[in-house]
Amino acid sequence: MSVVDHNTLELAPVRISEAEVGDYLALLKPRVMSLVVFTALVGLALAPGHFHPVLAFTSLLCIAVGAGASGALNMALEGDIDAMMSRTANRPIPRGKITREEAMAFGVTLAFFSVLTLGILVNWYAGALLAFTIFFYVVIYTMGLKRRTAQNIVIGGAAGSLPPVVAWVAATGSISVEPLLLFLIIFFWTPPHFWALALFRSDDYARAGVPMLPVVAGPDATRLQILLYTIVLVAIAVAPWPLGYFDAIYGVTSLILGAGMLALAANIYVSRERSQSLRATRKMFAFSIFYLFALFATLLLEVVVRTIAPWIGFGVG
Amino acid sequence: MDEKREREGIVLTEAQLRSRRQRSIAIALALGVLVVLFFAVTIVKGPAVLNRPL
Repeated sequence: MSVVDHNTLELAPVRISEAEVGDYLALLKPRVMSLVVFTALVGLALAPGHFHPVLAFTSLLCIAVGAGASGALNMALEGDIDAMMSRTANRPIPRGKITREEAMAFGVTLAFFSVLTLGILVNWYAGALLAFTIFFYVVIYTMGLKRRTAQNIVIGGAAGSLPPVVAWVAATGSISVEPLLLFLIIFFWTPPHFWALALFRSDDYARAGVPMLPVVAGPDATRLQILLYTIVLVAIAVAPWPLGYFDAIYGVTSLILGAGMLALAANIYVSRERSQSLRATRKMFAFSIFYLFALFATLLLEVVVRTIAPWIGFGVG
Repeated sequence: MDEKREREGIVLTEAQLRSRRQRSIAIALALGVLVVLFFAVTIVKGPAVLNRPL
């Protein structure tokens, strides 16, 4: 009698990936990344002193890749939620193109290389801050807050607000008031922007069990919070002008755009009927993206004007 | 034929081969960009490339 059984091991079928490059690019959340890169570019442009273009490009690339890594890790951790929501059901993980493990490995690799490259090639303060940003988004927001509290995007918004600060630190090796103002603008912009989205996607969030404010506190409380946060946002966005940090072009633009934001937030607050409310929240969501983009574009324009003014004879002498 | 396939192990489909090739090219390009980046920054910084704050 043999003491060894000749049994065949039952192995799980080998999974061969058919994921294409486009699927991996989708993991980077390109639209979020573009906003991150743009706000970081403004942070770089505002920073004083000369910063070599190659180093500026390196910094932006590392910040972009770091943001992409955060997106990939976020999707790896939220595959179950994404599958339940119509907005995210088409992402590579719910579609079965990429596994959560593959997304995790991809995200960790990108995070590692983005932080290391920024640290080695630019400076370690910026590298450390980029690492903290990724950590905050993945561990504090995605793993800690997202499924637990309605304040998830309020606190988690800090991660999305940090890129211009990282860029400033990359350029100067230090921190100052201006990047903190940019941080505050994005920080207070995040809640009204995402709550507007959450209002017209509240069924999605409820089905996925994500405690967004409209799901937990109801639409009326959310409308009030959107209005209150928008008032704070507009005040904070205008403040750098009278305080002397940014010029009049920015100040006036900020006032005009702020009036638009306030009008839309007030519109959300008074639009209680379903179809009206839906229209109001969609308008707010779309305009809020334009608001942030236009505000930062104005800051960029100010830098350009300040740079070329001496060349064309303005502001000299 | 079946015997041959067994000897060869896992045989990839056309789609799997194509996507693997795409991914390999993307990884090669990313590594190339990294090399060029390190080279360019070394040239820009000169000897100061070894002087890193913190």
